[in-house]
Parts: sequence; structure tokens; C-alpha cells
Amino acid sequence: MTSVLLNIVWMVLFFAVIITFNQRLQLYSYQRNVEKAVVRLEELATKSKEDAINSIKSFAPEGIDLRGDISGFLEFFTIEPVSLDPFGVLKRLEHLLDIRRSRSVEFVSRIAPKATKTEKENIEVILEAATAVNYIYKVVRHFLLLGKKTKSLMIFVQLDMQLPMIMKQAEAYYAAQTTFTAGKPIGDGLGPLVASKLIFGSPQKRIAEDIIYSEVDIEKRKVIVLKAEGPGGVVGKPGEAVKELVEGLEGKVSRIIMIDAASKLEGENTGEVVEGVGAAIGDPGPEKYKIEEVAVKYKIPIDAIVCKMGLEEALTTIKKEVVEASDVIVERVKKMISERTKEGDIVIVAGIGNTMGVGQ
Amino acid sequence: MKVVMVQKSQRNTIVSIILTLIAFVLFISVSLFEELADLSMVIMIVGLVLLAASWGVYFLSGKSAPKEEVENVITVIACRNCGQVEERSFAPGDYIFKDMGQCKKCSGPSFIKSIYSVSPKKE
Ligand SMILES: [Zn+2]
Repeated sequence: MTSVLLNIVWMVLFFAVIITFNQRLQLYSYQRNVEKAVVRLEELATKSKEDAINSIKSFAPEGIDLRGDISGFLEFFTIEPVSLDPFGVLKRLEHLLDIRRSRSVEFVSRIAPKATKTEKENIEVILEAATAVNYIYKVVRHFLLLGKKTKSLMIFVQLDMQLPMIMKQAEAYYAAQTTFTAGKPIGDGLGPLVASKLIFGSPQKRIAEDIIYSEVDIEKRKVIVLKAEGPGGVVGKPGEAVKELVEGLEGKVSRIIMIDAASKLEGENTGEVVEGVGAAIGDPGPEKYKIEEVAVKYKIPIDAIVCKMGLEEALTTIKKEVVEASDVIVERVKKMISERTKEGDIVIVAGIGNTMGVGQ
Repeated sequence: MKVVMVQKSQRNTIVSIILTLIAFVLFISVSLFEELADLSMVIMIVGLVLLAASWGVYFLSGKSAPKEEVENVITVIACRNCGQVEERSFAPGDYIFKDMGQCKKCSGPSFIKSIYSVSPKKE
């Protein structure tokens, strides 16, 4: 008798809980996931700031509020140009990117005057990574607090669904910062690495911002290879360089070959080498535009050779598979040049990417 | 070490499910077996405790902070003259194509040929 009564009480309780608190429970469980993520993000943001301060400390002058300065710089923002009137939007964007770069160069010179050129360039990317981690943390925290304030299940569900991707990004940027601090070559350095392998030992000239080039002879073709000037963490302006070179030769270039790292799809292998056409460069726009513009002007075909890798692999120490792929690409470039151009032709090979830890 | 964390949270989830199942078996057995009627109160409390424990385990899972992975980065130093190749672990200041002075074997020019990370072995 008691057992039956108990059973009924249990069932009633059960349904009461399910019906009344169903949404509350859901809300709570989503909220908990987001809170856990925010705790981890906060940890990453704090650690990345501390790491940045520690790596800059030894280059800083006496009596400077390094912590305060860096905390301030991590909030630095860039307002995108208006695209409602698209005329000249890339010129405007380039202008803004130039200003941002010069601000960051200025800042680093001020807080780390004792650093060498390479070290300063590396500090710039360290700060960039720390800014990214800090930004992700603040945005996710914003939505957590907003969700708590409005008790909105919608906000939590949306946030919770995107969390795996967001966390992966934050962890990647944090891991990247550690790699930058040591100045190790990164996966994105594949393009410069291939370029360096092609020009190793030959005299180099400087062109455009942070870009060097060298002329080498491959199968009796004059091959102009360009890359960012290493081993500091810079990408330079390869688009500007290609444009200047082509204009300098009055368009007498028979091919442009671009080498870059490309993001892989899940299931694809790291280090897979793939060929295609088009300007293989992942900049915000201006550099790509310059290359496409000059290629169209003189009707120069653009070939692309890319090596697949994940976001984290592109931002952290270069993997053995990618280094092996660079040798494959060197051979592909040579083969491509001998198959698709004639003797005496001029070919431009551009190794795109961040040249940290890759000299020439 | 992320792998370890995932395994731990998976194990916690399984433990939590098992606890819930035991609690339900207890609840059902009270109503099925007349002999247990006298113990119903005790069993119900035990069941509720098990349920609470199950929730606790579930919510506490994955709280352990993941440890940083120690990556294994190798620097390959090669000689331009004799082809002597030497591998060592990465040292700050190393970069690819850096001049490394004289080769140990033939005192020709040596340089850093390659730097790469080797992913830790997975079972
Ligand atoms: Zn030697």
C-alpha cells in the first residue's frame, strides 16, 4: 500500500519538476557550460597577458608602467572602412592597416627599446595574439552576462552551440603566443620557407615593406623569388612587391606562382599539397587586390600552390609534415616552371605568409 | 593533455548514468516486490542520494584544468660541405637558414637546415 502511494507521490513530483522547472533546468545547464568556458577563457586571457608582459619585461626601459601600457594596448581597435560606398574601399582599408601597423611599431619601440629588429617584430605578433585572446574572452563574457541579466535561453543556446569553435580559436591563439615568444617558425611560414629554399645563398634585394627578392636561374628561366624578410614575425606587403616588380619589367612576366598555407577541411591531411589558380594570399584584401589588378592588366596567369593545415597548426610551431611538404612544393615549382614557361621567360614566385623563424 | 581531460569527463558521465540507473532500479523494485515495502522509505532516501550524487558527478566533470602540452621541437643543423647532419632540440635564437659557424667534422660552413615540431605519440 505504502509502496503504491509512494510511487504516485514520486510520479507527481517527477512531472511537477519536469513541467515547472524544465526550462529553468535547461537554462541552468546551458549557462553552466558557458560559465565553464568563460572561466577557461579568463584563465587564457590572464595567462596570455602575463606571458606578454614577461616576454617584454627584459627589453623595457626603467620606470615604465609596462602592465598598464600593455593592458591598454590589448584594447586597441581598428574601425573598418565604410563599404556602403565601395569606391576605393581597399585603398581606405590599406590606409587604416598601415596606420595600425605604424601605431603598433611605435608602441613596441616605446615599451621595448632594447629589443633588436627581429625581437621587436616578434613582440608585435605576441601582442596581436594576446589581443585576440583578450577580445574573445570579453565577447563571450559579454554574452554570458547579457544572458544572465535577461534570463534568455536563446542567448545561452546560441553561445553554447558556438563554444567548441570559439574555444578552439582561443586555445589556438594562446598556443600561438607561446610559439611567437620563442620565435619558432610557424605553419604559416610555409610560403617563406619554400621561397628561402629556392633562393638560399643568392644575393637579395629589398623591395616594398619588409619584402626581399632574389633572382635565380631555374632551367634557364629568370625566376624572381620574393618573401618577407626573416627571421622576425612579419608578413610584409607581397602584393605591393609583385606589383612593383611587374611594373618594373613592363609586364614582361609570363607567370606568377604563389605559395601559401591554406586552411584544411576536417578529414583532410595536414601537409597535403594542392594546386589551383588565383592569388593565394589570406590578407584582409589590399595585397590580394594589387596582385590581381596587375595580373589582369598584363594578362599574366597566376598559379597557386597551397599546403593544407588547421588554424592551430598554422599559428604554432611548424609540423614535420609541413616541412616535408615544403620540399615537395619546391619540386612542384621547378616542374611547373619547366612545363609551363619557355626558356628565357621571367617568372615571379611569391612565398606568402609570416616568416617568423625563417631566415634567407 | 586535452585527450586526458576528455577521457576523464567521459568516465564521469558514465559513472553518473550508472548511478541514475541504480536509483531507478531501486525505485522500481520498491513498487514491484511486496517484501521491500517496509524498507520503502530507506530505499527512497538511498535512491535520492544516488540521484544527487549522479548529478554532482555530472556537473563536476571536466572541471580539472588541462595541463599544457610540452611540444618537442627539433633543430636540424647541416653542413654545406660534407653533408654532416646533426639534430638537437630547439634553442631560443634558432631560425631556419641561420649560420651556425664551422662544421664539427670538416670545419666547412654549417647552417640550420630545418626546424619542426614532432607531435607526441598517440596510442
Ligand atoms: Zn662538414
